[in-house]
Amino acid sequence: MNMIIKDDYLDKLIASWKKEISPVHSVSYLDQLKADALNCVESLRLPTIRDEEWRFTDISSLRATPFPRASAATLPVSDNQADTFLDEAVCKLVFIDGRYVPGLSVQTADNSITVSSLSGLTGTSSVAEQYLGRLADFQENVFVALNTALMHEGVCVIVPADVAVKVPVHILYISSRKEVTVYPRCLVVAESGASVTVIEEYVALHEGVSLTNSVTEMYLKDSARVNHIRVQRESPQAFHIANSSALVAKSAQYDSISLALGAHISRFDQKITLAGENAGCEVDGLALIAGRQLADTHTFIDHANPHCRSRQLHKCIMDDSAHGVFSGKIMVRPHAQLTDARQLNRNLLLSDRARVDTKPQLEIFADDVKCAHGATVGQLDRESLFYLQSRGLTETVARNLLTYAFGGEVISRVTVPSLRQHLEQYILARTRIS
Amino acid sequence: MININSKILLEVHDLHATVGGIEILKGVNLTVKSGEIHAIMGLNGSGKSTFSKVLAGHPDYEITRGTLLFDGQDLSALAPEERAQAGIFLAFQYPVEIPGVANDHFLRLAYNTVQGKRGKEELDPLEFDDFVREKMKLLKMNPDFLDRSVNEGFSGGEKKRNEILQMALLEPRLALLDETDSGLDIDALRIVANGINQLSGKDNAMILVTHYQRLLDYIVPDFVHVMEAGRIIRTSGKELAQALETHGYDWIHANDQVAGAQP
Amino acid sequence: MSAALQHLVNQPYKHGFVTDIEADIAPKGLNEDIIRLISSKKNEPEWLLAFRLEAYRKWLDMVEPAWQNVKYPKIDFQDISYYSAPKPKKKLASMDEVDPELLRTFEKLGVPMHERAALAGVAVDVIFDSVSVATTYKEKLAEVGIIFCSISEAVHKYPELIKQYLGTVVPPGDNYYAALNSAVFTDGSFCFIPRGVKCPMDLSTYFRINTEESGQFERTLIIAEAGASVSYLEGCTAPRFDTNQLHAAVVELVALDDADIKYSTVQNWYAGDENGVGGIYNFVTKRGLAKGRNSRISWTQVETGSAITWKYPSCILRGENSVGEFYSVAVTNHHQQADTGTKMIHIGPNTRSTIVSKGISAGQSNSSYRGLVRIAPTARNARNYSQCDSMLIGSQCGAHTFPYIQVQNSSAQVEHEASTSKIGEDQLFYFAQRGIGAEEAVSMIINGFCKEVFQQLPLEFAVEATKLLSFKLEGSVG
Repeated sequence: MNMIIKDDYLDKLIASWKKEISPVHSVSYLDQLKADALNCVESLRLPTIRDEEWRFTDISSLRATPFPRASAATLPVSDNQADTFLDEAVCKLVFIDGRYVPGLSVQTADNSITVSSLSGLTGTSSVAEQYLGRLADFQENVFVALNTALMHEGVCVIVPADVAVKVPVHILYISSRKEVTVYPRCLVVAESGASVTVIEEYVALHEGVSLTNSVTEMYLKDSARVNHIRVQRESPQAFHIANSSALVAKSAQYDSISLALGAHISRFDQKITLAGENAGCEVDGLALIAGRQLADTHTFIDHANPHCRSRQLHKCIMDDSAHGVFSGKIMVRPHAQLTDARQLNRNLLLSDRARVDTKPQLEIFADDVKCAHGATVGQLDRESLFYLQSRGLTETVARNLLTYAFGGEVISRVTVPSLRQHLEQYILARTRIS
Repeated sequence: MININSKILLEVHDLHATVGGIEILKGVNLTVKSGEIHAIMGLNGSGKSTFSKVLAGHPDYEITRGTLLFDGQDLSALAPEERAQAGIFLAFQYPVEIPGVANDHFLRLAYNTVQGKRGKEELDPLEFDDFVREKMKLLKMNPDFLDRSVNEGFSGGEKKRNEILQMALLEPRLALLDETDSGLDIDALRIVANGINQLSGKDNAMILVTHYQRLLDYIVPDFVHVMEAGRIIRTSGKELAQALETHGYDWIHANDQVAGAQP
Repeated sequence: MSAALQHLVNQPYKHGFVTDIEADIAPKGLNEDIIRLISSKKNEPEWLLAFRLEAYRKWLDMVEPAWQNVKYPKIDFQDISYYSAPKPKKKLASMDEVDPELLRTFEKLGVPMHERAALAGVAVDVIFDSVSVATTYKEKLAEVGIIFCSISEAVHKYPELIKQYLGTVVPPGDNYYAALNSAVFTDGSFCFIPRGVKCPMDLSTYFRINTEESGQFERTLIIAEAGASVSYLEGCTAPRFDTNQLHAAVVELVALDDADIKYSTVQNWYAGDENGVGGIYNFVTKRGLAKGRNSRISWTQVETGSAITWKYPSCILRGENSVGEFYSVAVTNHHQQADTGTKMIHIGPNTRSTIVSKGISAGQSNSSYRGLVRIAPTARNARNYSQCDSMLIGSQCGAHTFPYIQVQNSSAQVEHEASTSKIGEDQLFYFAQRGIGAEEAVSMIINGFCKEVFQQLPLEFAVEATKLLSFKLEGSVG
């Protein structure tokens, strides 16, 4: 496509930002990056359902919501978010409407890691230069370009070599007001042999329309381990568009769990590159949606080197008129021999109006590999239902229990106990067990 | 144990049942009183497993003729869970694996649901934990069973023990044990049989569905029935099982001919 | 890959020769006049010309599809001759009158027609460069009321049937190549199995592209009325040429209540040489409409030839309880590219479909499975099971799986599974240690891999397919 389609939405956005952004005088890497991304935005357009990758997710309604970013003005601090704070997360960073709130945040006492907001990166500009924007490709993806051009505050977690961070780093993005757009940005660098758990959680204090466009970049050096947990509980009217990329070096292990529970339309693009020999990843996901919600997950697991192992389990539970979309590609590059890749996508439709579109894909260019994928769409298993009923459970309870169990398989993989309990409670409530 | 004065628990009369349009049960008659232990034996495909599924109310099976009374109440009108609540328990031949549901959660939910329906006291998680651990000792079960998902990744013996544990918790009035001995080594068989014997009493009854006589070495039945082609063709005392073990199922027919020759 | 096996892959195409028969060729290029010429050459009624012209006008407004996972130089549609027919020497009354040269061609192909017809009880409707010149067993079929003839003949003899069904399953504007075919199709087969008739023998068409640079636009229409059943075999080989040839066929199947159509293909068009020069472009639209209750449409294909294969034999399951099946083996070697699969569109309640696809890639080839399973809101209790396995031989080829699953009914059960396998050194060693050479070992492994599909083929086809596969992959493993 060399044809540039004029995009009103983007034009309006750009115009409004240009007013907001003071002209750049310095030539720091960050400023240059933003300027480059802005140039890309101008040559891109919003995807439509005619684009293969957006075939099932119609975001045209986004055009009606050209929200500004939140001003730094009043930041409501609320007590009713206590349940979003985790016991284990000694280190937490809280953002309200895209703005870092030091008063609610607790930096770790452990000085071995650097956790800073992006604006604090100026002091470590070499880090920014080395990593920021190198993984999240803004040339092709308009949302990444928008985020890169407009990122304001974000998180940077750097774990030095051979440091195992015991407590999870909890990054909490709170949306406090409707009609606001936020551009969260997160950078994680785990040096050789380092290990860390990072939780990104999105919650809303309102039920109105808002827009989140987030980008996460994770670098795992040799033998590093990152456990990445992503919980999306946005307002039922919200748009949530997120891109996450991980570069996994030799013998490193990247494990991720992403949960799509909220938002009117959510789209999560996840790219994992197994870039060194013997690298591995475990990529799990659960979308639990109802009403008229749409949850779209696109994953791309790239086996670029020999002896890498990937495991993926993605589940969708759809009630009412909800619409689940899954597109999962596993690529095995030439010479990535002895790849071991397995992917499973399971979908549960609870209502006749619910809909699922799934597209698991294998692209294999090496012959000595073990790859398998599977996808199922169906209902609760009859034999399991009968078994539970024969133990005295009513049909409703049996159904609820099995629905919960279907999602519980993913939740049980959350390694942070208090978060797992929160999520279990949440899923339990959503699957209507009395 | 046989007691003339015991009340009738189960009355099956001329029971016909189909699965997928194919008739499997073709006129089963059976009466079971409290305190009795019955064994139903027969070759594979004789209809004995179907019989236990029909009693438990599996939705794939349809009763086309005959009556099924439990404690005087028509069973065919009841949903599977209502039968369970009324006191019918089926120990499955192939217990179903339910990933994602923790065993302790499931056991408590089943126990409290049934207790509630029977107007008895429900137990909170702590009370239940003590209660279930006590019951597990009976079956020499490892406490970590409770944290695992229902039957998931269990060995054959573990699954069967889990079934008997559920039976111990739900205190059924009529227990149907479908091929409970299959897949058990001799030690596991002894433990399971011992558990079943301890659960047997004057107020409940049991039907053991089995192919082999093995289980009957440990649980002594009051009646042995032989099922063939969807009917009970022979009923006798425990010695019948021994005779079948020695002579095989064909012996029944040979025996019939001899009996026919000398009226 | 070992050298021992390397040489085996590179065996030349054994059906590469040109039969020397005089042909009547239309000038190159495509316009309304050419279409009128085709129509008048074939002495067609006005309505058919109108059908062609409508399709042509649609085609003009369409864009050549680019989404498939294949690469080829742009086709110049004005550089193709759209009509060629062997000059009939005289009217043929029996097989004996068929051009001996043609019979010799079949001989070379290993398809002794007399024997085949007599021994296997196969009626062979011979398509030779677009025009049907011999049809056997026609009379025997006519006894039970079966019509099996060329589509041009059917246009004249059974215009009402053609009018009623042509273009109803694959509409003229369905896709770029179907539109082109609808505008310029020259000939093909027509089968009509009347109510309640079980076709007493497998119906078969053997055809091959003969004249250089003549595009082939076959059109096949098979109707099975209520309670009828038929098994149809299609097989093709083509002589060797350096110039790419376009083959854009359309096959339409209609099954009414309780009818059963089984359509089997062994495709062995010229694939180009080991450097990827030449070979057929096989862009085919095949679709069956399971229109009636309890109807069944089953596609089986063994795709071994063509430089590029682009085809998705599909089933529209409209009738209640209707069944769709797709069994496929696609083998690619050298620089071949295949993008093939199926669509199962479930519309009626209790519809069921099965997909079994086996892809084998060797050399520098690429093989893609692309499939769609759609469960419409009306399709209560629909069931689908798909299994797509691929095998790579050598490290320069690619295997791709692109299944699309779209479900809009909560009572549906859809299952898709895919895996890859390989022919490992250890397996070959094991065979060797038991005294079995690499070639035979490979052949055994491949045949085991494809067994589920071969089982679906009529017996004589299965034997041929097994041989063909071993032949195609000879030398590619080591």
